[in-house]
Amino acid sequence: MHYLRSLFIVGVFFSTMSLIYSQTNTYNGTVIASDLEEPLFGVSVLIKGTGDGTLTDLDGNFEISAAPGDTLVLSYIGYETQEIGLGTQTNLSITMGPDNEVLDEVVVIGYGTIKKSDLTGSVAKVSAEEITKVPAANAINALQGKVAGLQISNTSGDPGSDPVVRLRGITTLNNNNPIAVIDGVITDVSAISLLNANDIESVEVLKDASATAIYGSRGAAGVIIVTTKSGKAGKNKVSFSVEQSFESIANEIEVMDGREFATYLNQIEPGTYNNLDVLPNTDWQELIYNNNAPMTSANFSISGGSENATFYFGLGYFGQQGIIEKSNLDRLTGKLNSEYRLSPNFDVGLNLSMLLSDKQNTPGVVNTALRAWPINTPYLDDGTTFAEVNGGNPLAAIEYSNSNSDRLRSLGNLYANINFLNNFTFKTSLQFDFGAGKSKSFSPVFFVGSLQQNEINDLNYTNDYNLGLIFENTLSYNNEIGRHRVGAVLGYSTQDQRNEFISGSTEGLLREDPLFWYLEAGQNDFETVTNNAARSTIISYLGRVNYSFDSRYLLTASLRRDGSSNFGGNNLYGYFPSVALGWNVSNESFWNVDLVNRLKIRGSWGRIGNEKIPGSAQYALIRGGRDVVLGENEGIQPGATFDGGGNPDLKWEDTEQANIGFEVGILEDKFTLEMDYYYKNTFDILVPLEPAGYLGIGAFRSIFFNAANVENRGFEWNANYRDNIGDISYSIGFLGTTIRNEVTNIGQGFGADSLLVGGDLGNGQRVARSSVGNPVGFFYGYQVEGVFQNQAEIENNPSLFGQQPGDLRYADINNDGLLNANDRTIIGSSIPDFIYGFNAQVNYKTITLSADFQGQMGNEIYNGKQAIRFTTLNYEERFNNYWSGEGSTDENFRPVLGGPNFQPSSYFVEDGSFLRLRTVTLNYGIPNRLLDNLKMAGANVYVRGTNLFTATQYTGYSPEIGAANAIDGSIDLGVYPITRVFSVGLNASF
Amino acid sequence: MKKIIYILIVISIATSCGDDFLFQPPRAALTVGSFPATADDALLAVNGAYNILRAWQINTGGFPLLDFMADDVVKGSSPGDGTAVAPYDNFTHTAEEGGLERWYKTEYEAIRRTNLVINEVPNIDMEEDLKSRLIAEARFLRAFFYADLVRGFGAVPMVTEINAPVDLVRTPVETILNEIIYPDLENAIVNLPERSGYGAEDLGRATKGAARGLLARVKLFYKAFEDVEELTQAIIASDEYELMDDYADIFTAENEHNIESIFEVGAIPETFANGGSQFANTLGVRGSPNRGWGFGRPAYSWISEMEANEDPRLEPSVIFLNEELDGVVISGDGATPDTIYAGGDIVEIEAYNQKVWYPGTDTRTAFGHNKRIIRYADVLLMHAEALNENGKTNEALDYLNQVRSRAGMPEYNTTSQSELRDLIMDERKYELALEGLRFWDLVRTDRAEEVLGPLGFIKGKNELLPIPQSEIDISQGRIEQNPGY
Repeated sequence: MHYLRSLFIVGVFFSTMSLIYSQTNTYNGTVIASDLEEPLFGVSVLIKGTGDGTLTDLDGNFEISAAPGDTLVLSYIGYETQEIGLGTQTNLSITMGPDNEVLDEVVVIGYGTIKKSDLTGSVAKVSAEEITKVPAANAINALQGKVAGLQISNTSGDPGSDPVVRLRGITTLNNNNPIAVIDGVITDVSAISLLNANDIESVEVLKDASATAIYGSRGAAGVIIVTTKSGKAGKNKVSFSVEQSFESIANEIEVMDGREFATYLNQIEPGTYNNLDVLPNTDWQELIYNNNAPMTSANFSISGGSENATFYFGLGYFGQQGIIEKSNLDRLTGKLNSEYRLSPNFDVGLNLSMLLSDKQNTPGVVNTALRAWPINTPYLDDGTTFAEVNGGNPLAAIEYSNSNSDRLRSLGNLYANINFLNNFTFKTSLQFDFGAGKSKSFSPVFFVGSLQQNEINDLNYTNDYNLGLIFENTLSYNNEIGRHRVGAVLGYSTQDQRNEFISGSTEGLLREDPLFWYLEAGQNDFETVTNNAARSTIISYLGRVNYSFDSRYLLTASLRRDGSSNFGGNNLYGYFPSVALGWNVSNESFWNVDLVNRLKIRGSWGRIGNEKIPGSAQYALIRGGRDVVLGENEGIQPGATFDGGGNPDLKWEDTEQANIGFEVGILEDKFTLEMDYYYKNTFDILVPLEPAGYLGIGAFRSIFFNAANVENRGFEWNANYRDNIGDISYSIGFLGTTIRNEVTNIGQGFGADSLLVGGDLGNGQRVARSSVGNPVGFFYGYQVEGVFQNQAEIENNPSLFGQQPGDLRYADINNDGLLNANDRTIIGSSIPDFIYGFNAQVNYKTITLSADFQGQMGNEIYNGKQAIRFTTLNYEERFNNYWSGEGSTDENFRPVLGGPNFQPSSYFVEDGSFLRLRTVTLNYGIPNRLLDNLKMAGANVYVRGTNLFTATQYTGYSPEIGAANAIDGSIDLGVYPITRVFSVGLNASF
Repeated sequence: MKKIIYILIVISIATSCGDDFLFQPPRAALTVGSFPATADDALLAVNGAYNILRAWQINTGGFPLLDFMADDVVKGSSPGDGTAVAPYDNFTHTAEEGGLERWYKTEYEAIRRTNLVINEVPNIDMEEDLKSRLIAEARFLRAFFYADLVRGFGAVPMVTEINAPVDLVRTPVETILNEIIYPDLENAIVNLPERSGYGAEDLGRATKGAARGLLARVKLFYKAFEDVEELTQAIIASDEYELMDDYADIFTAENEHNIESIFEVGAIPETFANGGSQFANTLGVRGSPNRGWGFGRPAYSWISEMEANEDPRLEPSVIFLNEELDGVVISGDGATPDTIYAGGDIVEIEAYNQKVWYPGTDTRTAFGHNKRIIRYADVLLMHAEALNENGKTNEALDYLNQVRSRAGMPEYNTTSQSELRDLIMDERKYELALEGLRFWDLVRTDRAEEVLGPLGFIKGKNELLPIPQSEIDISQGRIEQNPGY
């Protein structure tokens, strides 16, 4: 309720404000840009010390009421600010020159802005120009390779799947996504997909505690602030862009062909297939993946405004068919930013983003295609009826899959800014993040085989509704007194997040036609409906001071107090302080190193929190619907009991972070280097763990615990060099991060004091662990030393129960002469030692060629696809080189369906290092003289290739494996392959 | 204007919320403390404990692992399916097989549900008779789950509270028997009504007879024959149960909760959420008609023995290919060989467990099968065994012959205790085949090595299953592994 009340009060206030009016003498003037020799439109003209002011019109003219003796302050982005003392002359002619001081670029930080030179924290800014220079389909992908420490991985090629975003490695064990703040609205990174790259004015990535602590409990994994474009007063600006791409699978996984598979099975069960020549040979991957699947994007925007109102309107479409049939996505986005100046000291505005999407939920056939027997055929002899396939017929699975999700999401910020007492700004805003969706899947009656059939058609339907509201008030103070520059902000914010869903299912629909895909078409007997909800709330108080003395000595301090409903009574609130110092060495008078034009040293310390757990994690819930069937006539009697477990002692996860770094510019910033050493220690990490079975929460169920402390440290750098040779200009950049990740403590409370077990393969095997002194989620199992070549070797070496010649020889790690579970050891780590990227760009006149590489080193992947399965399925190619007798191989074991060789071991661990040419783009800007003829402001055409080349030893579709939970490590259980994409596009503006 | 700004700021702070805004209880769910609070809640909580008897995992992790290990059953299904559980057939199973973990953890989940009742219902102000009955039902179930655990795994952590301490170790079997299983069942015998004491709508709840039967089964496993004799005698004397006239009628759908049934799990042909049980789907006919996955098929050696004995119980126990049942012709699975030979001899045929048959042609209807847990024929055979061991061979013979004659087999008239001992064990093999009891019969009579040794059984190891590896890993070895694994 209090939101509505506040909104009402704000509304009343607005109406009152518009009545306030003041009047003195009238001055007229014209502002000319010295470089363009044209009038400047939209220049802010303020009477110093009052906050009253106006803007110049299209012809650069302004009119203002002021008293003689007042001083006018004229400012315009990109131009030097001028002050004009007023006298008797009421007609003024003013020339403004461009601002060449690059350092005074303004950087958006949480709840305010700051001059880059005054910045003490580690904040990377990516400008609109950088984002759109190399066109990218997805706004978030445009950041790849531009910010040191920011890793964006496309772990799945499924249309619309969100990339995995990691800043400075893995901080916590659970949700490692940085948060996104879009036009002031705190939300998740996936919301960036609501925006087109063209809509973005700037992106700031906040990395260290000094920058993120102001976001308190949500800042631990970093903050990505996105500011979208607003309109500028003057002639409307229209732009559009279109891009057409074609994608294909980058590489198939090598699996056995029909003959190899039959040969292998014959080794296990001699005589199973007597005539290998007549067996079919089906390449299932080839059958399910389409080549040159189209992907289209088109964007349109128009922006402009008058002196008192500006607007930016954007519309975008994105369509991707996907390389698997029935995985397509269609997405429509809309953007509206508008701001109204009700009086010189009073603005109101609205930022609104909307997304409508329609996604066919991809049939789960990736693994089926890898596992289906190659000696089975997709169709019976008639060529149209699906044949029964061991492991499942992937084509039938696609055919009978009908699953679709529609979503609407909208992000908005309704705000008012009031400037008063010269230096104060009060900002109040109501923000919302609304999402609603429905998802429907229908399965018709079909028969392919005994394990792939549906006897009665069925329908599942889910509808969800999510609304996050934030009511936020901040009071800012900014002033410059002599050599002192001070900025401060105080704020109070409340957040209310509500989620609700309703889902239903039924069977036996009257007809199979989509017109009948509604619950009402089903039979009452089969109908089930369920509905549930969750709500979580946060109350926050925040404050920050920035102080700069003579642009040389810099100080920032901040504090946030967050209360979260996700925690129980005693642990409701968390405090998140930070402090940072900076020194612009190159601004000192003694600095006379001409070579180095810029040098800044900075350091910070702070504490950030994490409360990203389900609100109900503290409770052991009791639910109804746990019924019993009783009685002569077998009727249901209702029951209620536990549904999983909870942990009432949950408390905040805290990350303490220290950062020390420097920024240097050499030869007038031809060469720039930014380097940081970071140290993060995360305490009481919140993580869902499967506790000991005797706690009784059930099989494969987890409880959240404050389980461990984890330390991350390393260097990160971003080095750039740019220069030109005649007409050719070029730039190269190299950025990288080293990561040392170590668990420093394992918490109490879940029955283990030095070990966490994760990495469930779904077959009873858990292959990842976390323990003190080791990286999070390392792989754990037997270390393979070779293959037993004969019985004598088995007798002379420790072996597992029942091992035979041709079986893997595991290391007796504890050297006790026995081989058992105690000999399992660390067999790999998912955390790379080093993540890097480099990019290069060459310009000749209006032609630009750019390339972006990305890579990582020193990590391993557990190939869970090869682990033991419940039934006999096709094998990956490696199994072809099986042991076939003494001396045949020391790497692969004999053909066998299960047993000791399938124990978790280094046999299934592969090197995950890779280097990938992420994108290469050739861009041609239409020359100005042509543009003039076409009456265009700008236009360019480009071609781009994505994922053209990957150097890796890894045998899966892609070495970029996402992990939902860090304690599980990078386990490849089969994902929608990432694709190789060729694109051609056109941008134009008028 | 300034005034307005100040007012606005003051108001915006004043509209701020307090700690109550930060209290967000779960939606659509209760928590301990608010449940169970009333007599109605008490009944809901007990029913919630029964509910897990229908869960797929409670049946040894979904698959009939105990039958796989016995000599009357093979893994079944098609040869390539279920390779993960195939090792139980030849005793090469390890602690990492997933079914084991599912089972172990689900037993404790079940125990937690019973502990909710046993710990909380005593605090409810309600009618005392009903209260003690509901607690007794929960104690019966708790004993049932613990009996499964100690027989399967030996010493296991003992939990009697709702929230178990996190640092438990294994409690000796003796302690669990004396502190939980025996007192729970003795309480249940006192406080539960006989079967006839329940209304028709409550058929299927634990009864005095069921508590006695379960306690007898446990006592028999630990060779307390005096107790077994007394308990089974009490069941016989209760006049609540008798043998069905025709063996073929015991397991049919129309004879659920029949006069021979002492404890069984009610289910209807629906999904689990709506009242079904997947047990018979896991074991059901594979292929055509499509009733299930076909796991746990009768062993050919057992079939041959029954054929040689001309035992009429063979036909009602086994579904042979091309047999017609309830108007449905069983043609079986294309991917499963009808007959498997080794060295010219038949070693396996495609045939299914008829004791889980439920009429129908699809998988859903298979969910309607009621799993029979304790039946009167078992009680009679336990009684016979106890009498014989207690030196009352003559009396024992009569009870064995009741089961024999109902089956249509000739009666025995031996007077030798040791001969009768063997005859009773054989009779259990024929009468109770495919019902999950054979493996434990062999273990408790120390005949497992002799009978199962050729299949891979190792004495001193395979009497117990391995503790799931995850339990040992999560507890960092505080929970220790059984010998040999």
